[in-house]
Amino acid sequence: MRVPEAATIEVSRPVDFDEFWAESLAACPALEPSFEYAPALSTDTVAVYDVRYTSYQGLRVAAWYTTPRHGAPPYPALVTIPGYISEPDVPRRWSELGYAALAVAPRGKLRSNAEFNPGYPGLLTDNIADHHTYGYRGFYLDVVRAVDLLLERSEVDADRIGLQGSSQGGGLGISTAALRPDAIVCVSAGAPYLCGIMAATRLTRSYPYEEITEYLRVHPDHEPLVTETVSYYDGLNFAPRVRAPVLIYLGMEDDVCPPETGFALHRALPGEHPLHTYPSCGHHAGLPWVMPVIEEFLAGHLKPEGR
Amino acid sequence: MTDFDRYWETVDDELRRLPARPVLEKVPARTTDDYTFYDVWLTSAGPYRIFGYLSVPTGPGPFPAVLETPRYGSVNQVPHHNDRLRYLVFTVAHRGQRRADTPFAAAYPGLFTRGIEAPVSYVYRGIVADCLRGAEFLLSRDDVDRDRVAVSGDDELALFTAARRPGFTALRVDGPLFYRILESQPEELADHLRVHPDAAGAVADTLSYFDPVRHAPDVAATTLLAADDASWYEPLAGALPDAAIYPLTHEDAADNNTLDAWLAGQLGVEPMTRFR
Repeated sequence: MRVPEAATIEVSRPVDFDEFWAESLAACPALEPSFEYAPALSTDTVAVYDVRYTSYQGLRVAAWYTTPRHGAPPYPALVTIPGYISEPDVPRRWSELGYAALAVAPRGKLRSNAEFNPGYPGLLTDNIADHHTYGYRGFYLDVVRAVDLLLERSEVDADRIGLQGSSQGGGLGISTAALRPDAIVCVSAGAPYLCGIMAATRLTRSYPYEEITEYLRVHPDHEPLVTETVSYYDGLNFAPRVRAPVLIYLGMEDDVCPPETGFALHRALPGEHPLHTYPSCGHHAGLPWVMPVIEEFLAGHLKPEGR
Repeated sequence: MTDFDRYWETVDDELRRLPARPVLEKVPARTTDDYTFYDVWLTSAGPYRIFGYLSVPTGPGPFPAVLETPRYGSVNQVPHHNDRLRYLVFTVAHRGQRRADTPFAAAYPGLFTRGIEAPVSYVYRGIVADCLRGAEFLLSRDDVDRDRVAVSGDDELALFTAARRPGFTALRVDGPLFYRILESQPEELADHLRVHPDAAGAVADTLSYFDPVRHAPDVAATTLLAADDASWYEPLAGALPDAAIYPLTHEDAADNNTLDAWLAGQLGVEPMTRFR
């Protein structure tokens, strides 16, 4: 019988963890964003834009950007971060609630895969033998640069930017909040992936973590390298740098992102953070019951008009 | 013959004229003592080269088998370890999905309404053909137990496949995509009709060829429909010869266990949970 809340999940923190990410951020070129209005996706209540910007190693990254047609700017803003196998939705629903919303498609997603396309499965183990060249390096930075893009927008209130996502979106919510602690006001992180990564591979036979198990089946001697690489990307190592309040919600029988790793994240975050757990739930982590909780949490911190 | 029958007969004819010419490549990283895993390529209607994941249990066989039809999205999950242990599993990637995205890469949003202005141009004509080709590939294997073959999917692609390819003993559909779609109007369809309001009639005509109620009488398999609202699904269940509805609780681990147990029971193997 598993007792997820009682499990010990430990990840060693590389001594140059902060330096590695400082260098990574410094290596990002100017954003050079473009915004193209998308009339076929826009509605009477929401304007939709097809956005492109430059990120780490000069790759162009796509995003959908939506703004409310009601209310007056500046708007509070959200970066919505996609799951591992999903493509970003056009985030109109968030703009109907009063947010400017940027749904980022980090490198490898369909509209950002011209130069980097490790596939799914594939991303989790792409160049995993070396943390410098690991495929997720640019992917993580693409989300950070999405925040930077919002900070440049005149219609966005730079003091009211939050992050929202589940699974990979939850995990990258943590890394992004850690790398932009001054900009992020709150994070909604459901069923967070990429936390306690190596421990997770021993707790589940489900993908995406199964990708690492498969990689090690073929390269068993790489386990020390893989362990070292992913320690630079593990949410548990980013957590101490997060200053924003984080809503965490977990399915207590999540086979994709084991709840043990979600509890470990909650413990690793400094300060108090709301934690919601849902028995008999898997990777959906309490949908649809948690959606009102998410909306209330974000509205409480970001205060969209009318809330 | 009705237009509906003629439309689908034409798809079958096209597939009959095109040999599948399967190519299998063993994948050592996904192969264990319990099963052998292959990447598979097949020719489908078009002609178009589609992709699939095949896992074959270790042992003499024949094995209970499951055809997994593709989800709506660019990526299909690789068959799960639990399923590989119990079944011979084949998962189809339809044209446009990853691994089957040359020369056509599907857009999301966008795929659902591609070519929807006419039945013959609608992208789902080819997608259904891809599922049928996958069924033919699975059902042609000597190591498949003919008395224990299921088709399972997130949506009615599994139902269309069971309707048009006899040989499946069980059918599981985990949710609707086409059923009563003009009422439910998912975002992509609503966007299309907002931009092209004059096309509403043509769109309705195209989608009528993909109405699962029209396909249902041809399904011989014992069927389980998973649904949010059982009463909303009853017309479809009623059109199927042997169907039951499982009302989803949205406690998804519990739902997945129930759906797993139903399929396991149909195919004579033990149920398994993914959270152990």
